[in-house]
Amino acid sequence: MNHTLSILLQNEAGALVRVAGLFAARGYNIDTLTVSATHDPAVSRLTLSLQCDDAGVAQILQQTRKLVDVLQVAHPATALAA
Amino acid sequence: MTTSAQTTQPNQAIAIDQHPLTGHAMSGADVIVQVFADQGVEVMFGYSGGAILPVYDAVFRYNATHPKDNGDEPMPLIVPANEQGAGFMAAGYARASGKVGVAVVTSGPGATNMVTPVRDSMADSIPLVVICGQVSTVAIGSDAFQEAPISNIMGACAKHVFLVTDPAQLEATLRTAFTLARSGRPGPVVVDVPKDVQNTTLKFHGTGELALTGYRARLRAVEQSALSDADCAAFFTALMQAKRPLIYAGGGVIAASAATALRAFVDTFGLPVTTTLMGLGGFDTTDPLALHMLGMHGTAYANYAVEDCDFMLTLGARFDDRVAGVPDKFAPRAKFIAHIDIDPAEIGKVKSVHWHHVGPLVRALERLTSYGRAHGLQPAFDAWHTHVAELKRMHALNYDRSSALIQPYAVLEAINRHTDGRAIISTGVGQHQMWAAQYFDFRAPRHWLTSGSMGTMGFGLPAAIGAQFAHPDKLVIDIDGDGSIRMNLGELETVTTYNLPIKVVVLNNVGDGMVRQWQKLYFKGRFAASDKSLHKKDFVLAAQADGFAWAQRLERTEDLEATIAAFLAFDGPAFLEVMIDPDAGVYPMVGPGASYAQMITGDFIASRAVAVTGEAAPSNMF
Repeated sequence: MNHTLSILLQNEAGALVRVAGLFAARGYNIDTLTVSATHDPAVSRLTLSLQCDDAGVAQILQQTRKLVDVLQVAHPATALAA
Repeated sequence: MTTSAQTTQPNQAIAIDQHPLTGHAMSGADVIVQVFADQGVEVMFGYSGGAILPVYDAVFRYNATHPKDNGDEPMPLIVPANEQGAGFMAAGYARASGKVGVAVVTSGPGATNMVTPVRDSMADSIPLVVICGQVSTVAIGSDAFQEAPISNIMGACAKHVFLVTDPAQLEATLRTAFTLARSGRPGPVVVDVPKDVQNTTLKFHGTGELALTGYRARLRAVEQSALSDADCAAFFTALMQAKRPLIYAGGGVIAASAATALRAFVDTFGLPVTTTLMGLGGFDTTDPLALHMLGMHGTAYANYAVEDCDFMLTLGARFDDRVAGVPDKFAPRAKFIAHIDIDPAEIGKVKSVHWHHVGPLVRALERLTSYGRAHGLQPAFDAWHTHVAELKRMHALNYDRSSALIQPYAVLEAINRHTDGRAIISTGVGQHQMWAAQYFDFRAPRHWLTSGSMGTMGFGLPAAIGAQFAHPDKLVIDIDGDGSIRMNLGELETVTTYNLPIKVVVLNNVGDGMVRQWQKLYFKGRFAASDKSLHKKDFVLAAQADGFAWAQRLERTEDLEATIAAFLAFDGPAFLEVMIDPDAGVYPMVGPGASYAQMITGDFIASRAVAVTGEAAPSNMF
């Protein structure tokens, strides 16, 4: 099913590549992707969507949290349901 | 990756804590070397080249101006034949010592040759700091000589990579690299430093790291997490109901220095222990409750115990495909599986568990032990202990002891009689690696150095070199194969250049034995590219050419004991090639995609079920 993830990361050259590379390396295709700076110019927000089952999204969330320049990862649908 | 502009600067007003060089002007290259010194680096490994020359010069000057009391260099720079060798030396040093291994290489090919050891260290959670020279910032992106996009390439392989484009961030970035490498689940950190940054004059601070607020917040949460009384109660409720509990311990026990805490837990509650390939040495393999290694080539008795157990405690392990090839059928009778790990992403990744804890292993084990003691919880597992002892007796490792050909197992048993589980053993990858894992005893952590997850052939010789620098007075033995040692054969010369008393054993079966074993099983014996009978190399001559004063070939079983005794007794680098039975196989074997119930034990290890015979079906499993 379709999942949308919201990721805060340090606004640096290369950080986006790291996130995109992680998804590719673990076999997920990113369907949509938006990146923009937040009110704090040192931080950017990355919103992406992908097709993935629930176990897969739980695992990719955990793997994304291991990226050193990632500040926060949220899965708003899970947050709303909880 | 540029580095963050934010740094944490502890209060520098307290003069007593101030670094003696604070405020001094020095080049970026000198900053790198000074941070190394402050971090306790005692040896580094690397190969020179244009883009790293300023750092090499700074190392030279540091060593010349800071001799140790005995006149030795404080931070010798060990030069391999190839940068991959430097990476595996740093990894061998890190694995044997528990400290961060350091490698320093040039840009382009120097850095890309380092990719394999970096990925290998990531896969086995080994802490490294790798400094790569890079072309000057103005040349980045211009397809310059010896330019490669190292932050992109290493970003996919390492725990983290920094490209330092702002010289002001160099010092904090380097210090942060060491923190990242050793904290949480350890791993390799790469710092790509353009040559102009190395040459920039900087003011040395002596303190300060990058903020990395996200990483540090997550790390703090994991490090501070503790088992509640309710967590402990749930754990012990299940354990007290269990009749056949088993500990499955992985490399996390070694990385977390948790062997003592594990020993105390086992002494208190009496759970038998099996370890993964990476966990060997985490629990004394000669202990009555030790079941040695489990998995694809684990001992039959460990795998039967996994089949039989009704409770499993997983410590610093991750149910990988060499252990749990079919996760649903792994530990099929376990009513309760508990999992403790430092990495939240490993919980439920492969197998869902009934109870888990993410946190430091030593504290978790000590907490469980003290909770159980305080509540007088003394489970009685006598019948299970008897069963385990019977499994070990009935299904012990064995081989054709009457063969006229030299059996590799006999060679390893003979060496083990001398070393008694106290030597540092490194290996390449393949049959010899599995035989070494099975037939050697390991009494303590950090004596077993092997490329577990990546399975990198060529690991053994450079890893042994790194380990010997970590422990100059210990016996270090590289158990290698003829295929594996070819991959980094140039490092034979490194052994003699530095006069390291390493003992190199090549178990020569004239080919890639593990590949042949799979080709026998799954490809009707068509030995595509795995037969080396046309290869002309004389390994003994090669070792002699590289300066080995003791280099011999063992070809007759009757010479085995005396040759091995002389080989191990030689005071200096020694090389022993053993011509082994080329048809010797690795047993037991749980085939790819098979469950433990389908384990093949071969002709000499007793199986408790009749194994399914005939050629296995083609499989996509690896």
